[in-house]
Amino acid sequence: MLFKIRTLFDSMAVTPLYLYLFLFLGPSNFSNSPFAHGFPSSSSDTTMHTNNWAVLVCTSRFWFNYRHMANTLSLYRTVKRLGIPDERIILMLADDMACNARNKYPAQVFNNENHKLNLYGDNVEVDYRGYEVTVENFLRVLTGRHETAVPRSKRLLSDEGSHILLYMTGHGGDEFLKFQDSEELQSHDLADAVKQMKEKRRFKELLIMVDTCQAATLFSQLQSPGVLAIGSSMKGENSYSHHLDSDVGVSVVDRFTFYTLAFFERLNMYDNASLSSLFNSYNPSTLMSTAYYRTDLYQRRLEEVPVTNFFGSVMETIHTDAAYRAPSRKTSGRADIKTSPDKMVTDDQIKTTTNSNVLDQSSDQKQADQACPFARLMSSFKNKVQTVEEADSLVNYGLVTMIPLLLLSTLL
Amino acid sequence: MAETEAPRPRQRPIVRLGIFLISHSFSFSVVCCTAGVLALLLLPILAKNTYISENALMPGSANPMLSNQDVLEANRFVKDLIALNSKPRGSGIESQRLIAQYMKDLGAEVNYHKFHPQITQFHPLQFFSSPDSGTVERNISCSFHGVNTVGITRAPRGDGKEAIVLVTPYNSQKIKQAEALSLGTAYSVFSLLSRVTWLAKDIIWLVSDSQHGEYAAVSAWLRDYHIPMFTRLHTVNAETCPDINYLYDVRDNSVTGRKIYDGFKRAGTMAAALVIKVVDRSETFDDNLNIYAEASNGQMPNLDLINIVNYLAVHRQGFRVKVEKLWSLLDSKWLKNLGELFESVGQVVSSINPQWKFGIPAADYTEGIATLASSLYNQALGVPTGPHGAFRDYQVDAITLELSPRASVDKIIRQNDFLLRGGRLIEGVILSVNNLLEKFHQSFFLYLLTSPGKFVSVGVYMIAFALLVAPLPMVAASLYADAINLNSSQNNEKTVADEPGTALRSLKWVNAAKKVFVVHLWGSVVSLLPYFICQIPNRSPTVSFIIWFLLSVLSFFIMFLILASPFSHAKESQLHLREWAILKSVTMSATFIGLCLMSVINFSTAELGGLLLVPMCLMAQPMRRDIRVGSLSTLSRLAYNLVFCLIGFPPVTFVLLKGAFEGFNSINVGDFWCWVESLWAWSSATYLYIEGILYLFGAERGSTITRNSRSEEAYLAICQLVLLILCVDSFRKVVHPHMVRTVRMLNHCIVLARSL
Repeated sequence: MLFKIRTLFDSMAVTPLYLYLFLFLGPSNFSNSPFAHGFPSSSSDTTMHTNNWAVLVCTSRFWFNYRHMANTLSLYRTVKRLGIPDERIILMLADDMACNARNKYPAQVFNNENHKLNLYGDNVEVDYRGYEVTVENFLRVLTGRHETAVPRSKRLLSDEGSHILLYMTGHGGDEFLKFQDSEELQSHDLADAVKQMKEKRRFKELLIMVDTCQAATLFSQLQSPGVLAIGSSMKGENSYSHHLDSDVGVSVVDRFTFYTLAFFERLNMYDNASLSSLFNSYNPSTLMSTAYYRTDLYQRRLEEVPVTNFFGSVMETIHTDAAYRAPSRKTSGRADIKTSPDKMVTDDQIKTTTNSNVLDQSSDQKQADQACPFARLMSSFKNKVQTVEEADSLVNYGLVTMIPLLLLSTLL
Repeated sequence: MAETEAPRPRQRPIVRLGIFLISHSFSFSVVCCTAGVLALLLLPILAKNTYISENALMPGSANPMLSNQDVLEANRFVKDLIALNSKPRGSGIESQRLIAQYMKDLGAEVNYHKFHPQITQFHPLQFFSSPDSGTVERNISCSFHGVNTVGITRAPRGDGKEAIVLVTPYNSQKIKQAEALSLGTAYSVFSLLSRVTWLAKDIIWLVSDSQHGEYAAVSAWLRDYHIPMFTRLHTVNAETCPDINYLYDVRDNSVTGRKIYDGFKRAGTMAAALVIKVVDRSETFDDNLNIYAEASNGQMPNLDLINIVNYLAVHRQGFRVKVEKLWSLLDSKWLKNLGELFESVGQVVSSINPQWKFGIPAADYTEGIATLASSLYNQALGVPTGPHGAFRDYQVDAITLELSPRASVDKIIRQNDFLLRGGRLIEGVILSVNNLLEKFHQSFFLYLLTSPGKFVSVGVYMIAFALLVAPLPMVAASLYADAINLNSSQNNEKTVADEPGTALRSLKWVNAAKKVFVVHLWGSVVSLLPYFICQIPNRSPTVSFIIWFLLSVLSFFIMFLILASPFSHAKESQLHLREWAILKSVTMSATFIGLCLMSVINFSTAELGGLLLVPMCLMAQPMRRDIRVGSLSTLSRLAYNLVFCLIGFPPVTFVLLKGAFEGFNSINVGDFWCWVESLWAWSSATYLYIEGILYLFGAERGSTITRNSRSEEAYLAICQLVLLILCVDSFRKVVHPHMVRTVRMLNHCIVLARSL
């Protein structure tokens, strides 16, 4: 059905009349749909990477599990720093250590005994807190089967092109992870949820990272393609905490997470460190457990996948022949949709983002725009002139004619 | 199918095993009893290392924050307290006022708690009612009271539902240096805790006035804490007692200008309590820490509490931790030899297979046995070893920490160091308990300590007990079976057995049980006699004891007349022997049931009782027959019985024990009375137990006079009811705080039953 619509667009694109009709009618139809920004395509292999989501879960309660909350908050900070915005992070914290009466530093959470970095600063948005963190809610978030009253901010609104990072930490065992000291998520539940997500086209690629005892066992039932899994320990191994903060009186971070964070602290969002370099950075002797990777469900070569594909929000760049950054936003959006399935070019060097949502986040890009708007305008104009003979020439022609009209209207 | 020859259905293996054991009951009982005693002696070797079971505790995870500044403050406080001694005494509460002032300066909520020590009076019905009923004595003279000072620091961000209690007993009339130091230690911790941000539980510092006994003050405060009194008693007292009045209107001119609250301040439920004591014993090697844990009726605090104290004291503050020992056992030759024997056995075992860890050094073994014996003795006695016992009655885990400094604490540097380390230990324990999310529940409640770091859990020590009592049902069954067989064979000889005869035969035991019951009843009646003796004014312990003794002998004769006279004394020989066997088997079953019930409630009492009762039960024989037969074996058995009963006779036991530990010089019959009286005061289960053995002996003596062998066995029966009463009592003790209502209902039932 969706496929049909797409071909219909293609056919429509040739006639400027239909295009104009669509441009003014289309958005009103599609903006109500939650899938508006991720336009469906024939298969996930050819779907481009549209956006990044992160689901960060701390599953254990109680003061002496302080480190699990610190783990999760550290990861939260890292992915935010690398460019995933708050509205695309589902943060689940099973307890509130910051406000625990036993906390020597009220309203602060640290992941290091040097207390340099307060993880619980001003800008932390916890989506599920306390007793809301249950296996049921977790599975609902993954599969998107929410009750109608659940606000959008608590939903995982990913699409077919989303890369999702799922990070979980807590106490676990052979093929289970404890939630709230009262219930368990089993490997079957996780595999089933991932399968449902795949069927509902809720992700393109999924990275599951788990820091718990015997974490590897949690992945044993996974079947869905596009899933990559990292666990902190093999079956029969424990995951240990990294160090004890003798001021707060609890362990503040787990080893696996600590070394993961150490890896990411060296990076910024433009670094091209690959997933394999992350995986190789784990040293069993410092970890006191063997990190486990499950890659058989994942198609791409790990050396070629930058970590920012999951931990940041840096998309693959797409070279388009036509300028999409026309003064009309609507037009550019539609043009993007139209061209994307056909012309996917991988080029890491050119930092041109196709997605308007990501464009908002990418501050660097914005700065570039502000610096030389005129030059950009000129270059796009030149492009248009060069490609006027091509198949889309009629469309572009129409777009170009709109520019003076708009300029005129803004001047007036 | 019916035609096929039906072979006798093969009995199930367990039944066959049972029959085998019953038929070899003599060898079985010998083996079992020996194994039981041996297992008891093996316990120190089977002891495991303690470990902290509760994750939340995390002892020693945070650095102690107690600083020298706190210690200096504490020193000032100690000096001020001692300076009070030299001042002329005014209204008698200067020390309380001083303490309250110091507490107030720390920003704590302070109130005084005035109490009258509970009059210890034996009341038989007390065993069936809650300890609080009828204890409020309203017309006590004003002079006879104590004043506790209570300071509460609220957790700044806590929910106020839980509290940790620090208790420092001191004598308000004359403050000794050691007591002042214990107050100083608590003060340094309290002043630190009034500043910290990490408290999740309120801290209560109870400075208990121990001029009428340490236990009384604490238990009075706990009673008022848990049972709200809605009449404002103290105002009534204030009208009649001028000095109390003075107590409540002091401090109008205090620095803060606030009046000290004159009501009763409370915090939440108590998570744990620490009683801090300092004794000036001048240890030679190191600063010492003695842990006392036994509460009433053998109840122990959760092992985790002892574990964290032990861990912090040893690994953080460098104290030498000890638990109580029976010192006299340390020097005993046979224990040393036994230890060496076990050690060599262990060496042999480890040479066979290095994996097997068996055996400990002989010195450790002797120490382990001494500690174990002390633990058993204290638990069996049921008298708490310190003020912490009062907390256990309200299901609060509590221990007493007795700190003793290395050298004399006269030197100020030495004293500062001692205060700092003591304070940091207490701080660490409080921090750890503060981390607790639930009540102590992870670790053991049923255990015996063999050293501060080793324990024997319930699963291990019950084996020794089970082995010890296992012969009782076996021998009872074999006796019963023999008696029945004898009976039927006689019947066969006479005539063809008539049908109703078999039915009657199976009811033989009812007659015996009736007798046992009557003797039990008599035992309980006599054990209640002291209540009436207590009513006699101006009695000395010796007189009381003699009265008691005479009364019990008298009642024994009455009982004997009732029990023995109506029955025939014509048929001796066979029939008599049979009746005696059934009586003995019923008595043994009752003993067995009683001991087993008791072991669930108070293991130590049951174990020690078992050690006394089991050999007595097994060996008891009608004496007259023994004398008549006159062979060597019977005579030796007779002698054994007599000696054992003599040892079992409580006053004799008491005298022997006392003589063994303190020398035979200062022994007086009245001492026994005093001892018994002290046991009532704690409503100890052992009291009843001792009564039981007393009458056991009484009955034994009776049997030597009379010619009826029924009463010979009867003495064994006496202890049964006593054991049952004791079970009821201990049960009440154990479950009391939760089950007062149920027990009251039970009371009503008993009263109803009596009226019927």
